[in-house]
Amino acid sequence: MMIGTTQFTNAIIERRELSDVAVIRIGLPSGRGMPPMIDWPNDIKATFGTHIYMLHGGYLYDGWPIAEMREAEIKAVIADISRKGIKNIAIASAFSPMNNAPETQVANAIRNEIPDARITLSHLFGRLGLIERENATIMNTALLPFADKVVSAFLNALSVRGLNCPAYISQNDGTLMNADFVRAFPALTFASGPTNSLRGAYKLTGLQDAIVVDIGGTTSDIGVLQGGFPRESNVIVDIGGIRTNFRMPDILAVGLGGGSKVSDDGSQIGPHSVGHNLVTEGLVFGGDVLTTTDILVASGAAEIGDQTKLAHLPQKTIKCAEMTLHKMLNDNIDMMKPGGKDMPVILVGGGAILVTQGLDAASKLHRPKHADVANAIGRSTPREDAIAQITQAAITRAVDAGADQNTVRTIDIEETAIPYMDEGATRLRVKVIGELAS
Amino acid sequence: MKEIGLHDLDDLALGSVFLATGGGGDPHIPLLIAREAIKEHGPVPLIKAEHVSDEAYVVPIGSVGAPTVSLELLPSLDEASLVAAAGKGLPVIDGDGMGRALPEAQMMSYAIAGVKPTPALAYDYAGNQATFQTDTTEVYERHIRSYAMAAGGMVTTVEHGMTGAELKQSVIPGTVSFSVKLGQTLRENRGRAEALISPLKDIFASSIYGECRLIFQGKVTDKSTRIIGGYDVGEATINHFDGAGEPLKISIKNEYLLAKRGNRIVASVPDLIVIVEYETGTPINAERLRYGQRVAVFAIGCPKLYRSKAALKAVAPRCFGFDIDYVPLEELHK
Repeated sequence: MMIGTTQFTNAIIERRELSDVAVIRIGLPSGRGMPPMIDWPNDIKATFGTHIYMLHGGYLYDGWPIAEMREAEIKAVIADISRKGIKNIAIASAFSPMNNAPETQVANAIRNEIPDARITLSHLFGRLGLIERENATIMNTALLPFADKVVSAFLNALSVRGLNCPAYISQNDGTLMNADFVRAFPALTFASGPTNSLRGAYKLTGLQDAIVVDIGGTTSDIGVLQGGFPRESNVIVDIGGIRTNFRMPDILAVGLGGGSKVSDDGSQIGPHSVGHNLVTEGLVFGGDVLTTTDILVASGAAEIGDQTKLAHLPQKTIKCAEMTLHKMLNDNIDMMKPGGKDMPVILVGGGAILVTQGLDAASKLHRPKHADVANAIGRSTPREDAIAQITQAAITRAVDAGADQNTVRTIDIEETAIPYMDEGATRLRVKVIGELAS
Repeated sequence: MKEIGLHDLDDLALGSVFLATGGGGDPHIPLLIAREAIKEHGPVPLIKAEHVSDEAYVVPIGSVGAPTVSLELLPSLDEASLVAAAGKGLPVIDGDGMGRALPEAQMMSYAIAGVKPTPALAYDYAGNQATFQTDTTEVYERHIRSYAMAAGGMVTTVEHGMTGAELKQSVIPGTVSFSVKLGQTLRENRGRAEALISPLKDIFASSIYGECRLIFQGKVTDKSTRIIGGYDVGEATINHFDGAGEPLKISIKNEYLLAKRGNRIVASVPDLIVIVEYETGTPINAERLRYGQRVAVFAIGCPKLYRSKAALKAVAPRCFGFDIDYVPLEELHK
């Protein structure tokens, strides 16, 4: 059983179900006066208790210690956390993606004193950018108790229905996590919505490399499948007003859907839409707004509502609107295509019927049955050379998370170099995926 | 503009990063620091270089190092010039020594106008300090670069101390208030490049920069950079959205320095080459430019000071290893 969930994203956005957190940053004397959560919106800070500690330690880009770790300082922090009875602890140290020793050292010291502590270490979220990585770590930690609740309820719901199959939840990049993994990393589910629709398009067609156009009521969301997984965006992602560096699928949202408003001459469509009010405001439903759905009905391609309400529409407007709609999609699909290559296009979503003609931008147009249902697994952006050791560590982690050893393969290698520095440090991040172990 | 307050900071950061032509690093952390300092000390008075008395003592404060480092090695709240000014209650000069981003000290307008960089002071994240006294700016550049590397990749510097009279001869004027104005224009016209170009043309036309052109729109189909001699050196290829026509190639050396289509040069340093996200107009730093991104490329004339013979000795394409003469943007597009 595999599901996607927006429970954890919504908890952050709606500022609920967040538990008290102790945040430990290791990096002094750098960042004095710049404590963790300095850039968080006040309203979310107010909804749960946060206790902030800054310790000496961490490393420079070249492996030199920023400062020696101080035993007494660490002890004092743990004693304070103990006294306050906080169990959820986030730890981030400078350059931990390159050297995570300070984070693990402090985590081990905490586990000795507080055996039932639940700790998130920032290096497990990868990527350079201390503030963004730390933010992700704090969000994850604050969600841990809620994740327990959600996962337990999910497993319970399955067993009540007599389903004894393994349960998985999809994460940001389209890969799957087993229940224990979700309990530890709920924040990795933040983008499972759009990811699912892309993976679903793959599942429905078997096409590994394609453009997916998901047409809804207000927008057409265009994404790219590469090797069966969504292409990721590199943009800094804001979640509930908090800056993070999670990788999310690269989606181009175009203001074109079933409820989009059409200008009188048909030359302009969207971005405004009547949205859910289509069934009262659209012309065929007796309203007074010309929408793309009205154009579709007027062209004779669909029978929806009362067609007599469209009798006054000039043929010229209908033809022009059809042309505008197809041109918008063609232009935007071209923008998302990797290189100038011809690619198939998969149309999904309730608004897919709007496309009545072929799309020039598509080498082939696919309209899978059940196109508005979807579910998930992985992703890819191929890169060059791998380093065996790191790849091996990644494979071990993937197998721990439920992947079948025989199907695990490397799909992404990211090098982070430090400019201006001769023989500067380069960080390597390897991503592997595999099929579910059965 | 008479002061920099809290509400100006987002626009200042956005405008500055646009003018930084791909270099200079992510503005988020400096922005946080400036915000904290202004919250604590209040707005910072901004004065025009021409209003500074000839006898005044002026000192530029900044950082030297690799922008990527500051993603992890956070600066402390007692660094950076706006912060220093806020803390000391001093005014900040509306101007700077580049009007864009350039990688080395001898490329700064102060150096070109003959202002010596030393005596200079630098300190690191832990407060360790070093002072510099050098014969030439080139030697200073070598030494401060080595110190920055030894000190974790990023240091705060106080250099190019000068009199008000020297300032008036060497500063690129008005760049702080212009960055705020530019940031505001980008924010208010956030959207596709075709819509952005007209307001951008207007704001640059009435500035020290002059020309602004939209030179290309398309998607990044290749980007590779390597560290050579302490620089992030490489090339990006951008293809038209429909894949037709000659692609645009951008040469990178920390900043975007040269734009070519085939053998034809479309823009070159010291003129500004700026890459923005196609849909929003948000500038993209070189380290964040990646395969698959949809972008628009603008070229902007450099401040006039950089077109003098003396300046071109320090900032012409040949100074960056490109075997071509500098031809101003507007002549390239006649």
